[in-house]
Amino acid sequence: MDSDLKQSIRGATLETWLVPLVILIFCGFTYWLTTEFARMPPILKRGIQPSDFPQLLIALMVGLTALIAWKDPIRVSERIHNPTLMAFGMIGAFVLLVQFDFFFALTVSCLGLTLLWKKRNWYTFLIVGFLVPIGVFFLFDQVFEVRFPRGFLTNLWYG
Amino acid sequence: MDSFITGLLALADPSLVVLLIAATLGGVIIGALPGLNATTGAALLLPFTITMEPVAAIAVLTAIYCSATFAGAITAILINTPGTSASATTCLDGFPLAQKGEAGRALGLAVVASTIGGVCSVIVLMLAAPLLARAAYSFAPPEYFALTLFGLSMLATIGGGSPIKNILAGCLGILVSTIGIDLMTGVERFTFDMSVLSDGIGFVPVMIGVFGISEMLVQISNSQEGLERIKLKAIKLPSKADYIKVWKTILRSTGIGTFIGILPAEGATVASMIGYNEAKRWSKTPEEFGKGAIEGIAGSEAANNSATGGAMVPTLALGIPGSPTAAVILAGLMVHGLRPGPTMFTEQSDFAFSIFWSMMFVNLLFLGVGLYGAKIFARVTLVPVQILWPCVFIFSVVGAYALDQSMMDVWVALGSGVLGYFMRRYGFSVVPLAIGLILGEILEQRFGQSMVMLKEQWWLLPTRPLTLFFLVLTFLALFGKPIWNRIKQLRT
Repeated sequence: MDSDLKQSIRGATLETWLVPLVILIFCGFTYWLTTEFARMPPILKRGIQPSDFPQLLIALMVGLTALIAWKDPIRVSERIHNPTLMAFGMIGAFVLLVQFDFFFALTVSCLGLTLLWKKRNWYTFLIVGFLVPIGVFFLFDQVFEVRFPRGFLTNLWYG
Repeated sequence: MDSFITGLLALADPSLVVLLIAATLGGVIIGALPGLNATTGAALLLPFTITMEPVAAIAVLTAIYCSATFAGAITAILINTPGTSASATTCLDGFPLAQKGEAGRALGLAVVASTIGGVCSVIVLMLAAPLLARAAYSFAPPEYFALTLFGLSMLATIGGGSPIKNILAGCLGILVSTIGIDLMTGVERFTFDMSVLSDGIGFVPVMIGVFGISEMLVQISNSQEGLERIKLKAIKLPSKADYIKVWKTILRSTGIGTFIGILPAEGATVASMIGYNEAKRWSKTPEEFGKGAIEGIAGSEAANNSATGGAMVPTLALGIPGSPTAAVILAGLMVHGLRPGPTMFTEQSDFAFSIFWSMMFVNLLFLGVGLYGAKIFARVTLVPVQILWPCVFIFSVVGAYALDQSMMDVWVALGSGVLGYFMRRYGFSVVPLAIGLILGEILEQRFGQSMVMLKEQWWLLPTRPLTLFFLVLTFLALFGKPIWNRIKQLRT
């Protein structure tokens, strides 16, 4: 048995229990949040209290999670590939770069995403890193009148 | 009869025909762009229609409505990102079919189903608008609640995979829909004192995330396997055998869509969900759904486009919009000093029939645009993946932002993308999450209104015949198959 397969079997066992546990923790936290909602006096509650419907859903989710753990356990056949992890990194980089300029963040993240695929050549970089972002910017700005958030690059256009 | 002919003669005006062609093409572009939909398009165009003649103004708005509703299917099929919420169910089978290299077939079927749905609903609109409007308005909140519940019952079977996981994902979607101010009581829920969350989480950014961005993350994983598409068949249109296979589905979904469209606020999204689910339920090969079943595409598209005609019934006959876009059209009518209501069919019947004929013309027009364009659109699947998916990322992010020009929507789309990736990884379909989010708010509102109406005696719900009918359908949809299997097991 190679190391990848061993690792994936170990991961599957862990995730089989980890996923329902995470859902249950989420349900517990959300239920606690619902207890903090304001309660309406009977004359104003209009049928149900604001917390009733979410609490009903959370109870249903807890029941279904238990059913999943018992009847339909989580199975994972493979580990997360490196390019996917790097794509998460690109999304993280986008979130950071947006603080400087939305357009710049889009361009850099797209160039980064292009690098994650095997084929790399100058025309791909030109299309994805330059032509498409500029085209999208002008399409939304000029045709649909959607203004991009201001930043050091977009200010060059907006003045 | 005079109005019927006078309305048709309105199309003899070349300027109106040119306007309708331009609006149809514009609607196709708007509908195909994630983040922009028929409502946005109609709202953007509304100020420009003020200077037009009333017939031209309303005809242009309805042209945008019909064509954008159809065009949502283009991106749904090609890149798994529905251009409009009504096309969410089209992704389920459209994208797998495109992945098999049959994008042209999927697009062609979507066009034909949309056209038939649209044309039939306009005929129904012309013949039976007052009658149907009267029938629809015998619905009170309990009936709407039961109908929405029936729409949600499809969560168990939609998207393939485990019914338990599907329902859990649907519950999560409904829970997300409770974020924001509770419309019944005005109490803030899950907002963490952030004003940007007071209006709740929009379903368009979530759909862009769970369908578009998560698909990109999945595709990056697959890039290591050297994914190759069958290129030759990509632009081939559907065959005669395909149309023969789906004609019943198209007719059924057209009926469903027209009726659902007539119900106020239900609209094309609910229609497409029920249309898809019924297509699966009646199919001889339900196991093919989610893997590229052509009946799935036809069921969803016929239903959502037929809802556009249906939604115009309450809009014109009673002045109550049948969908968000119909609300914009209603605003357009009022801007031009027209008073929608029962008198529309007596005092302004020429005007009403001009609109009906314009809708008919637009539906036939996008049959041509769609079938001719299908071969061009299908070529998107031939674009190299290293260019296509980064472009999808750009359109997803900008599309999410464009909706309200809010960065919050961008964060929601990105977060939903990551959540969608992990949901898929662990065997949860992302479709129930999106559907739960769309229908959750309606469900809770209708339940609250029903409780007020029934003085909090929920057990009185089944005492209303129509409510009981929909509740029984819901029960059968959820438990019918397991019960039937159990009975068969006991017999053998």
